[in-house]
Amino acid sequence: MKLLERILKYQIVTSLSVLTLGAVLFYFSVDYLIDQEVNKELMRSKAKVSWQLRHIDELPVYILQLGDSLQLDQVRYPGQMALVERKLFNEFESEYQPYRQLIFYERVEGAWYRVTISKLLAQRQQLLEAVVMTVTFIVALLLISLLLLNSWLSRRLWRPFYKTLRALDSYEVEKHEVLTFPKQHTVEFEQLNQSVTQFTDRLAATYQNLKEFTENASHEIQTPLAVILSKIEGLFQDESLKESQLVALSEISEAANRLARLNQALLLLTKIENRQFLAGTEPISLVPIINRKLRDLEDLIEQREITVKTAIEPTGPVMHPALAEVLVNNLLTNAIRYNINGGTIDITLHAGKLVVRNTGSPIHIDPELMFERFRKEGTHSASLGLGLALAKTICQVNGQTLRYETDGPWHILTVTW
Amino acid sequence: MKLLLIEDEKALATSIQNYFQRENFICEWAADYQTAVEKINIYRYDCVLVDLMLPDGDGLDAVRELKRSFPETGIIIISAKNSLDDRITGLNLGSDDYLTKPFHLSELNARVQAVIRRRSFQGSQQIRFGKIQIDPQEHLVLVDQQEIVLTRKEYDLLVYLIANKNRVLTKESIAEHLWGDDADLMDNFDFIYTHIKNLRKKLMDKGCPDYLKSIYGVGYKFSEQ
Repeated sequence: MKLLERILKYQIVTSLSVLTLGAVLFYFSVDYLIDQEVNKELMRSKAKVSWQLRHIDELPVYILQLGDSLQLDQVRYPGQMALVERKLFNEFESEYQPYRQLIFYERVEGAWYRVTISKLLAQRQQLLEAVVMTVTFIVALLLISLLLLNSWLSRRLWRPFYKTLRALDSYEVEKHEVLTFPKQHTVEFEQLNQSVTQFTDRLAATYQNLKEFTENASHEIQTPLAVILSKIEGLFQDESLKESQLVALSEISEAANRLARLNQALLLLTKIENRQFLAGTEPISLVPIINRKLRDLEDLIEQREITVKTAIEPTGPVMHPALAEVLVNNLLTNAIRYNINGGTIDITLHAGKLVVRNTGSPIHIDPELMFERFRKEGTHSASLGLGLALAKTICQVNGQTLRYETDGPWHILTVTW
Repeated sequence: MKLLLIEDEKALATSIQNYFQRENFICEWAADYQTAVEKINIYRYDCVLVDLMLPDGDGLDAVRELKRSFPETGIIIISAKNSLDDRITGLNLGSDDYLTKPFHLSELNARVQAVIRRRSFQGSQQIRFGKIQIDPQEHLVLVDQQEIVLTRKEYDLLVYLIANKNRVLTKESIAEHLWGDDADLMDNFDFIYTHIKNLRKKLMDKGCPDYLKSIYGVGYKFSEQ
């Protein structure tokens, strides 16, 4: 739920309860006032009636006609004055309506009379209706204005916040970005933006340091490796060495070679991640790269009796030629390495899409996991386990997507741009 | 043949020097930029091996210097930097080859010989070994004046073996020479054996003695004895 929606929820609940409470209080206070007024009126009527009854002999009789609201009954004894409320049948509207009656006793010419003055309490009904309607109207008005205010706020006031959020959302540390924002009038947003800027600044610097360290370390390893390998090679020429020593030396050499290759692959990976290979502006055709690679690998393909089918058009993505080379290399060597003897490789290249399909033994994990570094399915000991990670990284820095899918015996790697 | 090695890592320089001395090359060594420039300006070399990162200067400057004083000298850059920019700059400056550390000495040797061959006059471009004669420009291989037809890989293999004659060559170095970065696709080195076997058979069919010896557990050696 959005923050504004949550705030709105509380605002609505609060205003509804305040308004209901207010309405109740309003109702009772107005009701009380009306009550007082009715009582006062009844008392005034009483004074008037009493006066009239006491001077009845001097006044014309019709004067006493106060309509239905006045009733005179002769009684034997006077009682207590009372104020009662009862429902009486109203003949005009043919329904029962609430009346307030003031009952008192008056002595007229020696006889006691019970005087009842009735007053219709229709106002109370109207009042209730008026209060409910007013409150409903205010509530509706309040809701509409709250909603309007809310959407206006989210559009205007919260805009910088959403902007920051979007920037953070699409933030990629690999791009060594530092997020900067225009100055904000809202203190909190300005603070937030400053924090984000500082944070990404530190992040980019740390990331850069780490990458530089990796690159330098890999780099520095090359020279000692070169020394080791050259010394081993020198030793091989020593004819006094025994066979067992030569074999041991050969194993050392193999391991050192592997280390060298590993180091070079990691170095390349780091360099690609460091974006040291900037794409040009023109798309480069992958066709010559594919053809050259297939030619380089032809004897290997032949030896493993792999059938290669190609359907390629002269097209390709915008990227550094060296990276295109590495990408194609890795996809094709991958397709050969993990192929079965007598298998097939299908290469299709059309605008915006390069698909390399190869037959192979099924893998038992999520194909996407194959992009992880050093992930190997099976025991291809000569493989470094960096090929697909490299291909994925190349695609990532160039804005292409690389997908790995399996379909029965088929392993399908798709690059789209 | 006279080589100059510009390399600041002593241990590596010694190995390279030793390797070329066995080839009867004179291999001089300059450990820093200053010495290198002095030597370049005084002596003539057939080929200069330059490390790009020197303690007191940039190897590329040495290449420029060399191009000015002796443009006909062959230049091979040996560098721990594999960066494409350096490679392109190096080759644009007129260096003949670029080798990334670490490398096999046999590979360096083959490249040095190729550079020297390319830079020398027509007549001496031929590669000869025992009964074998190779014309590198025509990719033509003759045994006792009879032509033998080799595949591209077999041809490369033969040239590589002859360049490193009388030396033990490891299978990895052969694989790397023939397939470069794809060498790790050879999950075992049986594949090299296939090529070796075919080459040996083709040579022996034309009356070549068996020059190729396999060294158990290590690799091969190409020699007349």
